[in-house]
Amino acid sequence: MATIREKGYSHWDGKLAERRYPWWPITRVGIRLAFRKKAFKFVFAGAFMPSFIALVGLYISERLEDFKAIVRSNETLINVSPKYFKTFFTSDGLLFLIILVLSFAGSGLIADDLKHNSLQLYFSRPLRKKDYLLGKMSVVFFFVLILTAVPGLVLFIFKMIFAGSFKFFLEYPWLPLSILGYSALLSVFFAFYVLLLSASSKNTRYATILVFATYIFSNVLFGILMSIFHKPALALFSIPANLQQAGAFLYGQKLPFAFPAVWSFVVLAGICALSAVVLNRKTRSVEVIK
Amino acid sequence: MTAVIHASNLSKWYGNVLGLNDVTLDIASGITGLLGPNGAGKSTFMKLITGQMKPNIGQVTVRGRKSWNNPVLFRDIGFCPENDVFYEEMTGWEFVTGLLRFYGYSASEIKERAAKALDIVELTKDKDRLIRGYSRGMRQRVKFAQAIAHDPEIVILDEPLSGLDPLGKRKLIKLIKEFKSQGRTVLVSSHVLPEIEALTSEIVLVHQGKILAQGDIRFIRELIESHPHMISVRSSDPRALAARFVGDRSIQKMSFGADGRTLVVETHKRDDFFGCLTGAVLEGRIEVEEISSPDDNLQAVFEYLVGK
Amino acid sequence: MMNTHRAVREVFGFFLSLGRKTGKTRVFALLGLVPVILAIVVRVVLHGRTGDMAAVFTEILMVFFLQFYIVILALFYGTSVVAEEVEGRTLSYLITRPIAKPAIVLGKYAAYSLLMFLMVAVSLSLSFFIMNAGRFADARLYLTFLSYLGVLGLGILAYTAFFSFLGTVLKKAILVGLVFGFGWENVIQYFPGSTQRFSVVHYLKSLLPYRPMGGGGGGVALLLFRLEPTSPAIAVLMLAVIAGVFLALACWVFRTKEYLYEE
Repeated sequence: MATIREKGYSHWDGKLAERRYPWWPITRVGIRLAFRKKAFKFVFAGAFMPSFIALVGLYISERLEDFKAIVRSNETLINVSPKYFKTFFTSDGLLFLIILVLSFAGSGLIADDLKHNSLQLYFSRPLRKKDYLLGKMSVVFFFVLILTAVPGLVLFIFKMIFAGSFKFFLEYPWLPLSILGYSALLSVFFAFYVLLLSASSKNTRYATILVFATYIFSNVLFGILMSIFHKPALALFSIPANLQQAGAFLYGQKLPFAFPAVWSFVVLAGICALSAVVLNRKTRSVEVIK
Repeated sequence: MTAVIHASNLSKWYGNVLGLNDVTLDIASGITGLLGPNGAGKSTFMKLITGQMKPNIGQVTVRGRKSWNNPVLFRDIGFCPENDVFYEEMTGWEFVTGLLRFYGYSASEIKERAAKALDIVELTKDKDRLIRGYSRGMRQRVKFAQAIAHDPEIVILDEPLSGLDPLGKRKLIKLIKEFKSQGRTVLVSSHVLPEIEALTSEIVLVHQGKILAQGDIRFIRELIESHPHMISVRSSDPRALAARFVGDRSIQKMSFGADGRTLVVETHKRDDFFGCLTGAVLEGRIEVEEISSPDDNLQAVFEYLVGK
Repeated sequence: MMNTHRAVREVFGFFLSLGRKTGKTRVFALLGLVPVILAIVVRVVLHGRTGDMAAVFTEILMVFFLQFYIVILALFYGTSVVAEEVEGRTLSYLITRPIAKPAIVLGKYAAYSLLMFLMVAVSLSLSFFIMNAGRFADARLYLTFLSYLGVLGLGILAYTAFFSFLGTVLKKAILVGLVFGFGWENVIQYFPGSTQRFSVVHYLKSLLPYRPMGGGGGGVALLLFRLEPTSPAIAVLMLAVIAGVFLALACWVFRTKEYLYEE
């Protein structure tokens, strides 16, 4: 006779061990969930288009003679320098694609947890608030770095490969640090920015709109104010303008707007600080019912 | 008896997963309990009846009319979904009256019906509170209220007793039974046998998308009775307990667990055994740490029925 | 079963009442205060220069309304017509009522369109009349205002219909909507020739009470840059066709498609 047996619930007697990096499972799952969406894979692949175009530009710069017949322009068609890298990294197109990718991959990071009351599940494990937040932020770090630092360093290396010498590195040895520094700035800023807006609603669709709309709105507002008042400092209202200002500073290039770059850093830091305060409040382990 | 709800060769897939497997079934008026473990296909079946899903194969009719894309049917159907979801920004009153608007009633009739429905579920006092602030039981009751407010002839209730406290369950069970006396047709689903037992003796057993059996609930009870119950007792001295049970005729078989602290007993007479256990514990002053039993475990019954 | 016309009305009333109360509506309404605040600021800065103010309003604030505000509103509310019921699992409450499924789409579309129109109308009225205070005796002012309001109203109807259709068809309608609203629309409208007619905003801009200077650029640079306007009659017709076609498609898809909740 088949035995039918069901044990009642009983507590596990073992001792919970702390992982070395408790935030890592959160990051791993967050990235995996993003890639489960079919449309996201398409958008993510498309986000590498600027990098590919920049790579093609690099190649052309080294093969100018071959392309002269086609291009019919002078020798300095494409001059690859730190300015080239700064133009690529601070381009509106790349920033737009990053925001689009993060709308897909990042808007539900905290919104879904709030919707499904998962915070209690997280914090009933040996996980601190900072591990939870670091895990979520690392999802954003992953996507931003893969669209910035990785292509940036690859471009730098390919420049030397196509040139067949280390001349470029010897001329601009600080350039890899600029690439990494600006990528880090973008990652940290976008992590705080996306999580701030993701934590502001339980509805992922609404959070997606907020992530995108706030970014676009800040630029529209800047455009409007600039048209009226013609003061460059109004660029401080625009998120992409601040990122471009900070980027130009980190690449040692001419600033796009006529005000000190430190103001842009302050604005970006202010948004991050606001985000930290909001995230700290939102990620409570026990919901207070009003 | 004429079937109110008729399903023939009804099958439904979710991608590669078979939700409902070639179901042919008639449901007459009165209360019919749809009994099955979680994931058996009860909700799928109810959604097909209420036209929320389209069958892949076969058909389901309500009073001879297909339910998919046939909104005229819903004049006579009230549906209480399983999900605990609402338009949270609404009060209970706004929720019930709002949905009543879709039946073409006049404003005064809407108010009258809503008041009656909320009174039946005892939410009159809290009708002007936001649903967001309702307790689990209140949410279940307001969901029930929206299902009955338009006086439907056929009421489909998907796990209506979940989340209710024992008193709430009793009240709702009484209410559902009143529907039967009014000549309505009620199809109610649950995975808890005693809940269905309290409502009706006519049941349909569903398991893994198939109808295992349909008929009187007594035969299920007989199955359970004929099938030995396994009861596991963890104590400080299982052998001492076993020594006391050896002479008890209600016990068919005993074995010891691998941990050396568990005694597993097979018995046809649960109640007699528990009486014996109580006596043994008291007389022998044996400490019992845990008692677990699959009694009324539907999964065990189904596994038995499907021959696992 | 209720006749469709009445069903649409009842659904409209239900969701108009519900939509007014949500926090998101308040946030979007607050967003509409931005041009009002800008109008006050501009009024203070450009005090007394009436001509400048009218130009500022047209060129700049209409950019906000036309290329951002109504797009964002339509995207959120349009996709919400079906998507929010599926995500929130409240669809069961609607489709188990004796009303035709298309009535749900039409009623909700109408309710949300009215809600959006009210938000836009309040924002536009306040900002426009603040900008043009001192010209209240000029009858042409009101005609200009009404034409702006009409343009934005038609934009809401057209965009919301399109996004409603996306919401009935796609699970991730909002992302496709973002790419359309802020990618496609922002790029195609500047293409020369007939290509720019493949955007909704082209027809809206064709109805604005300004025309680009010769050469397609000129004074009203920001808004009418490279615009090769379509005649107003055709523009209105096209917007009506866009709204009608996508609404009809949304109704048809909603009627025939099965919506499964994500487990």
